Amino acid sequence: MDGVSTASHFRHASSIVIDFRNVGKTYRSLLGTSVKAVEEFSLQVPEGEILGIAGPNGAGKTTLIAMMLGYLRPTTGTVEINGLSPREYVQRNGIGYLSELVAINPKWRAETALIRYATLAGMSTSQGRARVDELIELLGLAEHRAKKVKALSKGNLQRLGLAQALLRDDQILVLDEPTHGLDPVWTQKFRDIVTELRRPDRTILIASHNLDELQRLADRVAIIDHGRLQRVVSTGYEQSAPAVTRFRLTLAAGYDRILESFPLAEDAGRGEYDVTVGSIQELNSALADLIRRGALVASVVPEHSVLERQFREAVGDPQ
Amino acid sequence: MSRGRLGQYTLWQFRDFVVERGIAIVLIGLMLGYVLIEPLRRALGPAFSIDAKSPGRPVLVMVSSSIVSLAVLIALNGIVSTDRKMGYYRFLFAKPVSPFVYYAQLFFVYMAGVLASMLVLSGLLHWVVPSFSIFHFLLYTAVVFVAMGGIGFFISVATRFDWLTLAAVWLGSRILRDIYGEKPGFLSKLVQVLPPVHKLNDLATDIIANGTAVASDVVWLMAYGAVFFVLGLLLLRYGPLAD
Repeated sequence: MDGVSTASHFRHASSIVIDFRNVGKTYRSLLGTSVKAVEEFSLQVPEGEILGIAGPNGAGKTTLIAMMLGYLRPTTGTVEINGLSPREYVQRNGIGYLSELVAINPKWRAETALIRYATLAGMSTSQGRARVDELIELLGLAEHRAKKVKALSKGNLQRLGLAQALLRDDQILVLDEPTHGLDPVWTQKFRDIVTELRRPDRTILIASHNLDELQRLADRVAIIDHGRLQRVVSTGYEQSAPAVTRFRLTLAAGYDRILESFPLAEDAGRGEYDVTVGSIQELNSALADLIRRGALVASVVPEHSVLERQFREAVGDPQ
Repeated sequence: MSRGRLGQYTLWQFRDFVVERGIAIVLIGLMLGYVLIEPLRRALGPAFSIDAKSPGRPVLVMVSSSIVSLAVLIALNGIVSTDRKMGYYRFLFAKPVSPFVYYAQLFFVYMAGVLASMLVLSGLLHWVVPSFSIFHFLLYTAVVFVAMGGIGFFISVATRFDWLTLAAVWLGSRILRDIYGEKPGFLSKLVQVLPPVHKLNDLATDIIANGTAVASDVVWLMAYGAVFFVLGLLLLRYGPLAD
């Protein structure tokens, strides 16, 4: 099915946790002009899933998240979390939330900001302090704990934002552009953290421009544009063999054998070759042939991931 | 996992009040008091008191009541709107707490903060003018906080420009009542629904200087503020947090 699925076709039989039903949001100005930020958006997110939300700037991702947290009310349709209105759910259970813009009072100190949030999260003083120490360690904030929020760099602020989202053992996590401002080391660390957070009873939403990140972390990705759900893509490659795909092969030995197995291979230099195949089967049999001829294959990488391809088809070039 | 410990969070809210507003209120109060009261006290000597016959009485009432109004304005400035403008609400209310309860609590914490600030200032004033009653002054502060603060709270929920709007509403009501209040006709009836700021002058003299007040005036002022405070809470309960 080429990686495209609809909510009703989702493979998991788990219970639905987040339910967007025909949701629309229109902003109206005092002068009477109106802007439709989200239109007829329907999607169900089951328990245990990591759902990515991708879309260009202004596609409606943040508005959707604001409605999910109960910060905004839909103009049409409904959003339910475990059968409750978003605000009711959040007030009862809380949601681990990292917003796109990390807004914490700049006069607060990093550590005390986390202790405050821990208090609001329902932790006792001792529980809160222990959890804060744990997160400060996990997110490499030890040397910044006494600094005022306004003195933190963008990356450290982002990590502080992530720390407050992880304070509680929440069933739902919503991460809006979570790696924005993080360096490559912390981006990788973030991926490890999210992978460890995956649990059968936990649902995670990640909104990001970074398709590679969503491809690695998410089970499915909802691609939205102009406020509309364009398609939902399963990220598993095995389910989504493309019709024609370009791959980049890197060889460690047997460079002169490449054209025998891939007659149309293009030399990209430094032992790398671009090849086009009609199917995964064709790729595998040509690779087997190449290896049999004595070549040593170091890596095979698709030129575009399934998600990138779907994104391009849905909204044009990714940003 | 339990719900948010809002009661415990009161200490953080009070700390914020002291650091961000309380110190400023006390310093401004001290400055105004020193500049406006001290020269007169020096000139009049022992004759300067809150007693009815003292020439210092109108000045004491005017200055102390102005400090209260200013303190309430400073305290209520951005009580809700700042969190919304700056986006602080996003992390606060992703936790299991109700914005409705959070801000209701904040209102009363700030009221306690303003009363504490006024306690400090009135304590100093009582020290230099022994006839000045700390208790009467705090009573007046509480009435003004509910009356003016309730409206300020509502405006802070409803608009981003709360300080300016509250000042405009306060001044506008005063001017419109002065112009139309005594004239016959529809407009004089209409201005009756405006905030009853015109009652504050008499109330200041009555409570601060005499320790008495016209009950209906107190009830009218406090009820007016309380209604707006409740309207603000309802707006928080049923309105969106984000713009």
